[in-house]
Parts: sequence; structure tokens; C-alpha cells
Amino acid sequence: MGRDLIAMLDGCQHRGPDSTGFALYADGADDLYRLRFYVGEGAEAAVSIARIKEILADKGAELLAGEQVGGSFAASVRHAGDVRPFAYAMEHAAKLFSLGHRLEIVKDEGTAHEVDARYHLSAIQGTHGLGHVRLATESAVRPEAAHPFWATGFSDIAIVHNGQITNYWKWRRRLEKLGFEFRTDNDSELIAVYLAKKLSDGASLKQALTDSIEDMDGTFSFLVSTGNEIGYAKDRLAAKPMVMVETDQLVAIASEEVSLNRLFPGQALSTREPLPGTIGTWSR
Amino acid sequence: MVTLDLASMSVRDANRRLRELGEAGEDAEILNPDARHHIGVGLVHPITVRVRGSAGYFCAGLTDGARFEIDSNVGWGVGDNIYNGTVVVGGNAGAVAGVAIRGAEIVIKGNMGSRAGQVMKAGTLLCCGNASFMAGTMMYGGRIVILGRSGEKLGEDMTGGEIYVAGGIDSLGTDAMEIDISSDEVASLQDFLDRHKIPFNGHFRKVVNAGTKLRYTTPEPTLRNQSCTQASVGGFWNEKTKEDIEVKAVTGRYRVRGYGTARAVPHFNDIAFRKEIAPDADALSKVNLAMTLGDRSGAKPLSLSMPVLIAPMSYGALSRSTKLALGIASRLSGIAENTGEGGMIPEERAEAGQLIFQCLSGRLGWNVRDMQKADAIEIYISQGAKPGLGGQLMASKVTPELAAIRGIPPGIDLRSPSRHPDVLGADDLVIKIEEFREATGYAKPISVKLGAGRVKDDIKIAFKDGFDFVELDGLQGSTGAASAEVIEHVGIPTLAAIVEAIEALDEVGAKKNEMPIVLMGGIKDGVDAAKAIALGAGAVAVGTAALIAGGCISCMRCQAGYCVTGIATQNPQHEKRYRTDVEAGNIHRFLESMRWQMAAIVHGLGKTDVRQLCRDDLVALTPEAAAITGLPFEDRS
Ligand SMILES: Cc1cc2nc3c(=O)[nH]c(=O)nc-3n(C[C@H](O)[C@H](O)[C@H](O)COP(=O)(O)O)c2cc1C
Repeated sequence: MGRDLIAMLDGCQHRGPDSTGFALYADGADDLYRLRFYVGEGAEAAVSIARIKEILADKGAELLAGEQVGGSFAASVRHAGDVRPFAYAMEHAAKLFSLGHRLEIVKDEGTAHEVDARYHLSAIQGTHGLGHVRLATESAVRPEAAHPFWATGFSDIAIVHNGQITNYWKWRRRLEKLGFEFRTDNDSELIAVYLAKKLSDGASLKQALTDSIEDMDGTFSFLVSTGNEIGYAKDRLAAKPMVMVETDQLVAIASEEVSLNRLFPGQALSTREPLPGTIGTWSR
Repeated sequence: MVTLDLASMSVRDANRRLRELGEAGEDAEILNPDARHHIGVGLVHPITVRVRGSAGYFCAGLTDGARFEIDSNVGWGVGDNIYNGTVVVGGNAGAVAGVAIRGAEIVIKGNMGSRAGQVMKAGTLLCCGNASFMAGTMMYGGRIVILGRSGEKLGEDMTGGEIYVAGGIDSLGTDAMEIDISSDEVASLQDFLDRHKIPFNGHFRKVVNAGTKLRYTTPEPTLRNQSCTQASVGGFWNEKTKEDIEVKAVTGRYRVRGYGTARAVPHFNDIAFRKEIAPDADALSKVNLAMTLGDRSGAKPLSLSMPVLIAPMSYGALSRSTKLALGIASRLSGIAENTGEGGMIPEERAEAGQLIFQCLSGRLGWNVRDMQKADAIEIYISQGAKPGLGGQLMASKVTPELAAIRGIPPGIDLRSPSRHPDVLGADDLVIKIEEFREATGYAKPISVKLGAGRVKDDIKIAFKDGFDFVELDGLQGSTGAASAEVIEHVGIPTLAAIVEAIEALDEVGAKKNEMPIVLMGGIKDGVDAAKAIALGAGAVAVGTAALIAGGCISCMRCQAGYCVTGIATQNPQHEKRYRTDVEAGNIHRFLESMRWQMAAIVHGLGKTDVRQLCRDDLVALTPEAAAITGLPFEDRS
């Protein structure tokens, strides 16, 4: 899984040389959470990790394992009870990239291969995953501004998105009024939380994606994943690229066929481009 | 046939080989293409290229005379801008297939993505499967043939050409309508299908432009209007405001006019040199003003005798004679000229010593042959006068001659799209630039023209996308025609633009002049130029000042094409009044005055090279200018 995503991202690194990110889904247990924090390096990391441990204890969560990988801290935690208050508390304590039974998000400055060298992703086995390359325009390239985004507060939901949501603030205010929190002003995070809320209200992923095409204004091609499913939505203007290939073994979706072809070197693929205003989902 | 294997060879090397093979008259086969971009870009010889697999973006793009056969799929923009040649795609095509073609035959055996045939001008784009959304949007001519189904908004805002669909049509776009098809057309289509061995026995429906939006119902008045140069435009209610209201009372819409902003904004007048400058008649011989521009990525740079360029201004907005005068003056002064939108005229190419060729969204007059004749290539994203809008050229200027070079129907109020068909984000832009580099053998600088809006983001993107230099145009920048609302109210002033641009470059860690900024928008002389350079610009460009030097009387009839001096017109009677050699001399002398002013300032400040000018040399004269530039405020009133 890790190796495939690295190859696909390397194939389209020209679209975003600054940072690269991965959302990977491996097997998990229902009473255990994986948490990935960005803690940086050296003394700064030690302070962050101490704080994380303190808040975990405070929230009655048991830290089963904790490991520093690259600039991240990967924690395996037993926690019972409502996930959202717990997730928000941890999110306030440190830069939490992801939380879930199966999901882990790893993202940092540099290319797919550079991030792999720091985080050892090629060895990771999994069922499904997302990846993203980014061209940054903020003053400093910060890992937390990289994609994929976790649906802050929700277990196991991640997103990658190309485009721009123009009614961002309208939806952000609505969701904030309902008590949802946002870590960034990034429209990808908004879509993730929007979808996660629908799912937690009982909608199917299909339904949530269909609604998003009505509700989101602007240009977008995005992929969303949960512990068991993966799906895409494409806006009505078809402004952002997306192409996919499906075989008996896998489904792969990318901005460009060149990324898909990395999985099948030397083979001509039977690919298709999703139509404007459409969605699709797959489950494991 | 020669075999090139992309498993062990870069596309760049393969394309270089293809060019050699083309010249030698040998065909080629590409193995392991694996959907890589730019395969075959820039070929101008009759060669057949067989791609054994899928190709990526811009396959066969910017070619003339070649034939491509791709076994499987292609990405965005297959056959981009082909004049003559054939492309046969065995599988599906991504978005904007056949974008801007001017005579090609493109056959797609599978389905094609959205916006196929955007801004195409001539040739045939055939899709044997289904076409996605908005096929034929803003097409100017040629034909699109769809054997399967068409998605929504077929022919959205098309201005010319025909679309034939054999399957269903989900919906028609604005200003498109269905009409009857003649038996001659059916025969011609059948002939095309037979020639490409496509079996077919269905029936076609035909879609053309409905003609409701080709021209404004009431044209702009041709009166001599209030000039932007008149003092009376100051104040709140003034003659210009009054005139605007009166004209709108006739036309019932926004005003379309030429020139830049009519109102005062903080500008170079509001900053000054800190020290006294001792005049020296010999200054010119004592300082260096010469520079090169555009070698960031190893291309052959422009060589400028001073940090000044002629701003891009189109043949179309301007008369042929005026373009020649600008070209001659630029050569006499040892600087560079720029085609602007609307193509390169041969005499202009011959007269200008160094010529930048500009690519705009409408791809009007854009082509690989002229790219290869240019000294630099520029992609236009926007300009200061009208960020976010496409080009406008009123019907009175769209003469048959002009329409021919642009490849459009004559006599329409020409609009070009507000964005490039194949560049919808910074990520797409990277791929587009690479196409230009492939088409010109990596030998020519590639620049970008930007109107000043979100300057910081735009400059960072330009830097990361690898441009060799940027032409940055402030709010004050002029135009041949744009809506007055946008001219006056969209964008940020030139002064603020250069400050933000330099901050952005600092933030991304660019070295000084690594990606020079050519600043424009209200630069009126060498003093403004020196101030701009002191603020960090690498060079400046002049539009309006050059036009005024060359006879513009600011009569404010550019948009109507009624220019009495023969500058902003396509009317032969008016153009006859323009004396190209005389005006070229005038423009040249004006440019030389800029040279002298810059030299005097550089020398007067005790420096030997124009690049030594810096912020410390400047003060702000108004609190606003101080706030914008961060220069110390010195009240000299
Ligand atoms: C008649 C005319 C035509 C123009 N055409 C173009 C064009 O085709 N492409 C472009 O990038 N800018 C065009 N511009 C804008 C100029 O390149 C430049 O940005 C602007 O004129 C600079 O401001 P200045 O006139 O105050 O020097 C045009 C300007 C004028 C006056």
C-alpha cells in the first residue's frame, strides 16, 4: 500500500513539489485508537510528547505504545466513551494529524520519496489510502498545512481535494454553530468535517457525497476515505482532473493517468474519467 | 521506423530525437509511454509517430504537419493548437481534447472529457464515443463530430463552427441552437468517417451559434470622450463621471473603454529620492544600464541595453503600423518588444530586434511556427486593467484581415475566455510551461504576465512553477478595451504590487533577480523606472507612455476603433494618417530620454550600475505611500 502510493505520488510530483502526505488504513481494533501527532524534533518534540501523555492520562486514555517517527509521534491508545470530546482535547494539546482505529496520516515537507525516507512508509501494508502533493503559497511550508486532512473530531475519516470551495465560510459557520471545530482555514478540512457529520448522522457515504455536490460551491475533485470505504466527488464544472482504473484487485484514482500507470508499468490501461457532478464509492 | 523506449529515455530526449527524425523524414514508434506528458510536442515536420500505450497531457501539442497514432488513452489537451496534422487516439481522451486546433484532424475512438474543442478555429475533432460536458465551448470555427452522446451545455458560447451529434444531446449551452443539416454536410461527414475507416450509419443533429450574443445591441458611442489625462477627472462628481452616466443611459450596460484608471492612486509620484542628485551631462557613459533577462532556467536570455521593455500590446487593439513603429523603436533602443494577444505579424518580427510572443486564453494567432521565431514566450494570466476578464475587441476592429490571423469570424464583438482552457490552477500551469519549453527546445525564456491582485500568492506560484521572469502590471495599467468597472476598481496599485512581489520572493527564498519582475502600469518616464528598480523591480515596461510618445492624443476611442491618429484602429482611412517611421523615431527618442534619466539618477546617487539602486535611496512623500512601501515618511510639502 505504502509503496503504491509513493509511486503514484512520485508520478505527479510536478503538481506540488513542496509537501507530500499520506492517509493510510491498516487493520485495527474497535477499542484501540491510533493517533498521529506532529511534534517536530529535539526539545520541542519532548515537550509536545510530555503534554500529549499528560492529556491522555487526564482523559482516562491508556497509552499502549508511543513511537517517534520523523517529526511525528505515533500513539496507540485505549479509550472508551465519546470520541469527539476526546479527539478535540487531544487536538488542543498538540498538532494532531489523525485519529482513528485504522487511519494514520503522515505528511511533511518534501517529495514522496523524501517523506518516505523520514517516515518509512514503503513498508506499510494496508487496505486503502490517500495521497497528496502540494504547492504551498504560505510564508513557510508547514507540515500541518499539508494534505491529506483528517475530519477533525471524527474517527477514521480523511480527505484529499484539488480545487477551491467558494462557499467555505457559509458552511464553516454552520458547522461551527453545531459545535464542530476546525484546526485550519483549509477548505479540504471543511469538506471532511461536512462529510463526517453526515456520516455520523447516519447517512451512507454515497448519500453524503451526493449531498456535497449540491452543497459545495466552486471547483473540486476530492477523494474521501473511512475505515471501510473510499469515495470521490467531482464538481459540475469538471474543472479539476480525475481519472481512474478499476481491476479485480484494486481501484486507483488520480489526477493523471501517469500516476495510475506507475502501478502498471508498460501496460495500456483501460481508464475512465468521472463525469461532471458525479460521485462513486467502494467498500473493502 | 525508429523505436524510442520511454522506459529508458526521458520525454525530453525522445522529443529531441523525434525532431531529428522528422527532419530526416523517418517515422518513429514510442514504447512504454505510460501516460507521460508532452509526447511529440513541437514537431513541425511530416513524421508519423506511433505511441504504443497511453500518452499524458498535450500529446502532439503545438505541432504542424505530423501524424500521431496513440494505441490507448491521452490526457488533457490532445493535439493542442495543431495547424495541420492528424491525431488518432485508440482509447479515451481527457479534458479539452483538440483545444485551439486550427486545421488538425483529431479522431478519438473512445470517449472524450469536458470542454473539448475549446477555442478551436478550424479542422475536425471527431469523438466516436460520448463527449462530456461543454464540448465546443467558445469555439470560433471548425467542426466537432460526436458519434455517441453529448453531455450538458453543448456549444456553450460558441461563436462559430459546427457541432454534429449522432447520439443524444443532454443540453445545449447558451447561445447555441440546433438547425437542419444539409445533404452536402452529411456527405462531407461520411467522407471524413470513411477516410478514417470509422463505420457509421446513424443520423446527425447539427448545432451552431444562435447569434444572440455576438454583438452588443447598442455599440459604444464613438464620440471623443472625456480623457483620462484631463484634470477634470479628479474630484467626486466630474465631467468623466457625468459622461459615464450619460453613455450608460444610452447603452444600458457597463462601459467598455481603453486606457488605465482615471482616478488617482498612490504612485511613484508619491515617493522620491532621498539624496540630492548632481546632474552630469556625461552620466550615460559612466554607468551600466544593460542587462540580460530570462536565463533562470538556462534559456538564451533577452539582452537589453537598459531595463525597459515595450509592454505587450496586441495587433488588433493597435494598428499594424503602430506595432511596426513599436518594433522599430525597440530595436533602435536595444530593448524588447512584445506581440501581446492576437498573433505575430511578419513585419513586426522583422523590425523588432527581440520579440516576446504572448499566449492568451483565446489562442488567437498563437502557433508553434511563430513560437519558434520568437525570442521569448509569455503566458498571459491577467493584466492590471482587467484581472479576471478575457480579452475584448469590438466588432469595428475585427476586420477580415485581423479575423484571418486570429482565426475567428469577422465582425463579431470578440471575447476571449477569462481563463486558459487548459490551465485551471497552478498545478496545470506547470504542465503548460513544460509544453512551451518542449516546443521551443528549452532555448527560450518563458515569462508570465500577471495583473496585480493577490500578488503574493501569484508571485510564489510563478517562482515555484519555474518562470524565467514575470511581467507584473498594477491597477493603473492600460488596455485597449475593458469594462470601466474593472479598470477602476479591481486590483492593487503598481506601487503596492512591486512591494508585495519582492516580499513574496523573499519569503520563498529567491535570490535577488533570480526571477526578475518587469513592472508596469503607469510608468511614465525614466524617473519612475529608477524608483521601480530601487524598490526591487528588475526592469519596467511602458505601454501608454510609448503610445503617447508615438502620437496618441488620448482621445479615448480605442475601444471603438475610431482612433483619429491611426494607432488604436483597424480603419485604413485612419491608419493612413499614421507615419510609421516618424512615430518610430518619436518613440525611440522618448525611450532614449528614459535611458538618460535613469543614467543621471544612478550616477547622481554615486552608483555605477542601475542594479545598485535600492530602497535606501527612497523616501515616501505621503503617509499612504509610506504605509504601502514601508519607506520612511518625509513630509516635504
Ligand atoms: C492598446 C493596448 C493593448 C494592450 N494589449 C495587451 C495584450 O495584448 N496583452 C497584455 O498582456 N497586455 C496588454 N495591454 C496592457 C499592457 O501590456 C500593459 O500592461 C499596460 O499598458 C501597462 O500600463 P501603462 O500603459 O500605464 O504603461 C494593452 C495595453 C494597451 C494600451
